[in-house]
Amino acid sequence: MKLRNLILIILLLATSKVGAQEKYKLSGSFKDLTFKEFVAKTEKLLPVKFFYKDEWINELKLGEYPDCSTLSCVLDNLFKGSALFYVIEESGNIVITNNYAVKISSLPVEKDNKFLPPSDFSSLSETQRTAEISSVEIGNPAEKNNPGKAAVSGYITNKDTREPVAGVTVFIQKLSLGAITNEYGFYTLTLPRGIYQVKFSFIGMREKTLNVNLYGAGELNTDMSSVLIPLKETVISAQKSVTLQRFEVGAEKINMNSFKLLPTSMGESDIIKSVLLLPGVQSVGEGSAGFNVRGGSADQNLILLYGAPIYNSSHFFGFFSAVNSDIIKDVTLYKGGIPSRYGGRISSVLDIGAKEGNKKEFSGNAGISPITAHLSVEGPIIKDTLTYDLTARTTYSNWILGLINDPSIHNSRASFYDFNGKITYDFNKNNKIDLSGYTSHDAFRFKSDTTYRYNNNVIALKWRHFFNSRLFSSISVNNSSYDYEVSSQYLQTEAFVLAHKINSTGFKADFNWFLGRNEINFGLDLTRYAINPGSYLPYGDSSVVAPTRLQMQRSWEGALYIDDKFLINDMLSVNLGLRMSSYFDFGPQTVMIYNPEFSKSTSTIIDTLNFKSGKVINKYAGPEFRVSLNYRISDKSSIKINYNRTRQYLHLLSNSTSISPTDTWKLSDYYIKPEIGDQVAAGFYEVFSNSFEASAEIYYKSIQNMIDFKGGTDFIMDDNIEKDIVNVKGKAYGLELVLKRTEGKLRYSIGYTYSRTFVRSISDFSEEMINSGKWFPANFDKPNDLIITFNYIFSRRFSISSNYTWSTGRPITYPVSTYAMYDEVLIHYSDRNKYRIPDYSRLDLSFQVNGNLRARRLIHPNWTFSVYNLLGRENVYSIYFKKVGDLYTGYKLSVFGRAIPSVTCSFDF
Amino acid sequence: MLMKIISKILLALSILLCSSCVTEFIPKTTEDQEMLVVEGLITNRPEAYAIKLSRPFHLGLNNVSHPLSGCNISVSDDKGNSFIFSETAPGTYTSDPTKFQGVIGRIYTLHISTNFTNNVLNYQSVPVQLKPVPPIDSVYYEKVTFTEGPDGFPSQQGAKIYLDTHDPANQCKFYRWEYYETWEFRLPYMVPNNTCWLSNNSDVINIKNTSAIAEAKVDKYPLTLITNSTDRLRERYSIMVYQYSLNEDEYLYWEKLQNISEQVGGLYDIIPSSIPSNINCIDDPNQKVLGYFSVSASSSKRIFIHDNFAGVLSQFNDKTCIADTVFGASNGPIAWLGVNVWVIINHTAPPPSYRVLTRTKGCYDCTVRGTNIKPDFWVGDK
Repeated sequence: MKLRNLILIILLLATSKVGAQEKYKLSGSFKDLTFKEFVAKTEKLLPVKFFYKDEWINELKLGEYPDCSTLSCVLDNLFKGSALFYVIEESGNIVITNNYAVKISSLPVEKDNKFLPPSDFSSLSETQRTAEISSVEIGNPAEKNNPGKAAVSGYITNKDTREPVAGVTVFIQKLSLGAITNEYGFYTLTLPRGIYQVKFSFIGMREKTLNVNLYGAGELNTDMSSVLIPLKETVISAQKSVTLQRFEVGAEKINMNSFKLLPTSMGESDIIKSVLLLPGVQSVGEGSAGFNVRGGSADQNLILLYGAPIYNSSHFFGFFSAVNSDIIKDVTLYKGGIPSRYGGRISSVLDIGAKEGNKKEFSGNAGISPITAHLSVEGPIIKDTLTYDLTARTTYSNWILGLINDPSIHNSRASFYDFNGKITYDFNKNNKIDLSGYTSHDAFRFKSDTTYRYNNNVIALKWRHFFNSRLFSSISVNNSSYDYEVSSQYLQTEAFVLAHKINSTGFKADFNWFLGRNEINFGLDLTRYAINPGSYLPYGDSSVVAPTRLQMQRSWEGALYIDDKFLINDMLSVNLGLRMSSYFDFGPQTVMIYNPEFSKSTSTIIDTLNFKSGKVINKYAGPEFRVSLNYRISDKSSIKINYNRTRQYLHLLSNSTSISPTDTWKLSDYYIKPEIGDQVAAGFYEVFSNSFEASAEIYYKSIQNMIDFKGGTDFIMDDNIEKDIVNVKGKAYGLELVLKRTEGKLRYSIGYTYSRTFVRSISDFSEEMINSGKWFPANFDKPNDLIITFNYIFSRRFSISSNYTWSTGRPITYPVSTYAMYDEVLIHYSDRNKYRIPDYSRLDLSFQVNGNLRARRLIHPNWTFSVYNLLGRENVYSIYFKKVGDLYTGYKLSVFGRAIPSVTCSFDF
Repeated sequence: MLMKIISKILLALSILLCSSCVTEFIPKTTEDQEMLVVEGLITNRPEAYAIKLSRPFHLGLNNVSHPLSGCNISVSDDKGNSFIFSETAPGTYTSDPTKFQGVIGRIYTLHISTNFTNNVLNYQSVPVQLKPVPPIDSVYYEKVTFTEGPDGFPSQQGAKIYLDTHDPANQCKFYRWEYYETWEFRLPYMVPNNTCWLSNNSDVINIKNTSAIAEAKVDKYPLTLITNSTDRLRERYSIMVYQYSLNEDEYLYWEKLQNISEQVGGLYDIIPSSIPSNINCIDDPNQKVLGYFSVSASSSKRIFIHDNFAGVLSQFNDKTCIADTVFGASNGPIAWLGVNVWVIINHTAPPPSYRVLTRTKGCYDCTVRGTNIKPDFWVGDK
């Protein structure tokens, strides 16, 4: 029973009936046995199991207890004088506690002796449960009359999943005092000694009350059960999470298990694709890179892996996510209410939580899908202390391309690979270090003369330290870079290599401090950026290309933040946050000064400013307020309101509808001001007892200093990008409705979003005005968006899942007329984004078979059969216009224009 | 450039995934077509300069020109002179070469006034300086083989025409070229009008930015590719290339125009929008103007190509021309058939004498397609 070492949780629940002590008779002598030996012996003799922490019983030795004939008598004698208490449950579990005792105040209901799975509540009625209030004693009774207050702290876990529950209100009505659990489910309270009723409440969880008799400082750990009625299936898969842990309005957590059930496009589970199923998240087209959160552009999302930013989130131009889903533990998307510890991007934070290696034994997984093959291995280097997790993925698409007879495709190459590694070292209870690394690589060759490569590289070191039960810290350093390189030999004399690189080094110190009814987070976030905006160098000896290197950009972004989650009463809590954000960019740099009476262009340059190395060119700084208010109406419903401001100093220059890997990153400079976003959001959440939950959120957002481009500009290798830029501002608003059921055999989610996003150019010059300076819909403005996902679990081996998506087509600028100049036929366009492509709709289906359940088998195969676009609808991927002869014709291209079946096979070993 | 590459890669990838999912369509749009299109070029050549005004036509319709007549056009310079342009053909307004010739260094402004439905609108261009242009170093061609014939003999050949130029003063960074092709063609029959000449303007905007290259030098700029699908290379071919120097603003105008004129609208294509002209309406800023008023010195170069190219077909041959072979008959209508026929072969000896008829007048008379007046420059060679 390894469990006994791990379990810190005391089962204080109604099923744990106490009162059957006398039925365990013991005889014989146990003298001089260690406690462990005693436990081993007793467990053999009697149908009981002990739960305790090793460190509590190390010193214990059994004595001679001649008068004892029962187990309880032996334990009473043994624990006399120590801070240890015990409780014997009806089921035979003997739980030992340190510093506090457990009592049941009501009389136990007589039940047969059969072991009940802890989560099986289906047979109990509501009244039975609430009638029983457990009673707990905390601290050493001897300290009862000591002066001063005593601190109580503990962890709250979800009874079904064993995961910590964040955001639980722990409240004492009598004192009007309380606390909220943090992300580890931890809380702490300082109270005068005495008798109290402690109420634990959280939306989606059954409210729980404990009678506490506080003698002195101690721990009070408990678990809470979901309002949803758990079925047996969820008990089996112990990791399954009830994703009710909403910290803030607009935060969404994706659990890996439900994520893996989603149908896939080419047999790949894909994290960005599942993020797109969340309300409020859109993309410009299926298979396009990037995503848009609540009307923000794709570069306004902070994608964090191992705490470091990822600058390119996709392989194959967006057909696959750059991060292999095998390494992901969970993913949280903050689309509003962004905690003050995050900053630097306006719209959202996508925090990808990576899993740690298996602490106990070696295990692995290998699989193939129509496009990729992947392998992951994990295990301990030193058991329970030092673990590793390594994952690799690659394509074999080059081989497939080589098989195709068309010469332009035959000579083309497209491939990618990625690799993740993580080493975790648990020094001791209070210190933990992670070292993680990630690299991804993409390569394309079009025909045989143009080659194109791009890479992500991340390395991160993180140290988590627990000072004491009230103060946690996490300190990390990371380096992340993204670079691309395009080389062309189309013309020998003009053969070139074009390259771009962004490199950032970050330092982050986060502290989490509990002070009674306050939970305070504070910390420091520093990032140093270096960008090579572009270099254009000759390729080969015969090239006469003049080597050109654009000026490097260097800057520091720094922020100090503090927020306080403050409990006003058991219904109302507020979170007040402030992030002081600042930005400095440094020389050497040459800045052009333009005649302010004209639109910026080469011919309006009037002066040049030279900044020396290390000299600060620009300083931008400002406070960001993050405020939220959470009002719990009952244990089934709550209202949340929040406001936040965010600033962004890093911009992706993109003048196409979808972002592409050759877009360049640009730091704020003399002309490009930081983008500032303000969002107000409100949400209402309700959990229904017949196991489904509903939510409604509304938001309004405004963004200043966004970037757009003067018509037709291609700004690659442009040192003075400001002359191509148009300053725009944005506004977005929307309503997101979700109804879902996340438990049981049949699970579903229905999400509908109505949202609008508009952009408007701000300029005095007509050539910088888009649509004459009027508001126009953004590229990703798709007002209606309906997403239905459903899955049905037949048994542990078989499950079926499906999702359906329907949305309004994205806006497009159509050519409307043609004209001729010097005999060349040219086109003229409508106002920007005046028209729309047709609506999008798609139905996918997949079927999973989890091979063999026999534990002894060496290899467990898992099969996934899926059909993408089951109805074969020809959704428009892209609309383009081409000149054929002297005539322009429009073409609709649908990439996944028919049903695409795929089979994925993976093996666990 | 890069965007185009990505677009192409993606298109290739997409077609790989789904080969039959491209469908043609013409979008239904409701746009105002009442815009002014201006094509105007002032050079230092001693000739009449033309300014052309027209209206755009709806997408999907063939290039039927919509010339705009009845406007008043003049060009003024920085010395206070003003030159009136008069309408010589519908929508084409030309200067008087005896009164007006562009001078290097002068600054010119275009003035247009339109008067439709009693609504006078005045348009004016940004003042543009006439900049000098270096001479063209050379124009030359390379024979290209498209496909190999049987036994290794080339069977399909064409010519690729290149241009080299450089500016000794290292001033001219941006170039635009136009070319004017002329070729001789012959009918394969002994008819009175047997040899003619045909001309064609370039219909692609050729521009080049040399600012990324160490010297202001253009090396082997590919002007055009002549395939063997026409008869250009069959007899003798000549190309006249005009070189203009652009300021950066004009270069960017043409570049942007090209960026949004080739393949547009796709996910990875540059988002199009109207490219601002250097001509604006003074009376109503909401009136959109398309086009550009260009001012540049020009240099030129002409070459001839007279070479053997495999697989170049004549537009006229027995297959396309011969309708019937008769004994007797003459040029003129055949009343009872209701058609016109022309004699292309009049065989008399040795007997029997017969005549070969065609129903295509072009097979009998080359002036149907070209002109039988030999151009002045058509000298040398044979």
